[in-house]
Amino acid sequence: MFDCANVEMRERLPELVAGTLDATTRARVEEHVAACPECASELETLRLVRAAFARAPKIDASRVVASLPRPRTVVAAPQRNAKVIRWLDWRIAAALTTITVGGLSLAVSQRMRDVTAVLPRDSAQVQSASATDPNAAGGGLPLPNKSVPHDRQTPPTDTRSSAPEPVSPAVTSPAKPQLSVGGGMGDLDDASLQSLLGALEEIDRAPVAPSAEPDRSPVLPVIKAGDR
Amino acid sequence: MNRMVQDNEPNENSTDLELIARWSAGDERAATRLVERHAPALARFAASLGQRIDIEEIVQDTFVRAFGSIDSFRADSSLRTWLFTIERRLILDRRRAERRRKEDGTIDDADAATEFDALDEIVAEEAEARVRSAVERLSRLQREVFLLRVNEGLSYKEIAEVVGSTEGAARVHYHNAMRAVKELLYV
Repeated sequence: MFDCANVEMRERLPELVAGTLDATTRARVEEHVAACPECASELETLRLVRAAFARAPKIDASRVVASLPRPRTVVAAPQRNAKVIRWLDWRIAAALTTITVGGLSLAVSQRMRDVTAVLPRDSAQVQSASATDPNAAGGGLPLPNKSVPHDRQTPPTDTRSSAPEPVSPAVTSPAKPQLSVGGGMGDLDDASLQSLLGALEEIDRAPVAPSAEPDRSPVLPVIKAGDR
Repeated sequence: MNRMVQDNEPNENSTDLELIARWSAGDERAATRLVERHAPALARFAASLGQRIDIEEIVQDTFVRAFGSIDSFRADSSLRTWLFTIERRLILDRRRAERRRKEDGTIDDADAATEFDALDEIVAEEAEARVRSAVERLSRLQREVFLLRVNEGLSYKEIAEVVGSTEGAARVHYHNAMRAVKELLYV
């Protein structure tokens, strides 16, 4: 009992029996076996082995298939995606709400800061002026001017720039005496009174320039004593 | 591609990977085709390993386990090789469990009547009976390698994957087994 020296052909014998060779290789091996008694003998043994172990109980495929698990990708994947998308939706909505509310809060607080920046300085004036002239309160809050058409009124956003306007120069220069609207002279100390009196005297001493505008004061008729 | 896969019925020409993809997409016919294609070889392999009982149950368990972890199947080996690997592990686990059970002294009477005995009856011809006897005298590893090579036509690389060995060792086991069978049959 000898083995064939052609190792390549001999190695192909089990595959020839199992039927796994391609057509070309199969033809080559069969040609070799036809001329090689050792390989022919071994091939016969291999065929016997295969025949002896070829029998096996028949398997009921439908029973096996019925016991198989369900594929996971079909059902599980879309649910997981839907969950993720739903979760993302909530997160996006929450983020947008936070941004909106935060922005509104900032805007309101900014507005309030502008208002309060003016209020403390003018509150006394507003309180005293509102007693005599409601329009005098315009120095504190940007109330609409009744004499100005609505479309030419100062918008609320101009509060900061227009706020100092109604306030007297004394407010912006604390060194000078402050005179509150509607307030009494009792509010002023002696130095302020002196300064104020000096200013009034300067005004009186100043020469009055002739007005370019025509005198629109009513001309009263001169009544002589004899006319009576 | 998917539409084409869905519309066409799986046939003999469909590859294992195509059938797996179809089954994953919910096509149960693809699973049927895969079972019909590989179940006979698995049953044969189980019988050749000396499995005497519950061959159908083992084949079924093999498919259940394989389809349950189909994501771990790597396409670099054939599906049949992978199935053989799973089945072999199942059989070895069963044998260990049986051995422990027998050591505990709880031998089931049902073990006496086996499917292997039925197979022996089927093997009527004397030559086949002698071959079976010769192969059964081989060591377990030699028998596994030899029958995977002769019955299923697996390459040494695939056999090494199934039995957890190397390609060279599988080749040596095969040739030793071949020599032993020849001696038992003809000497």
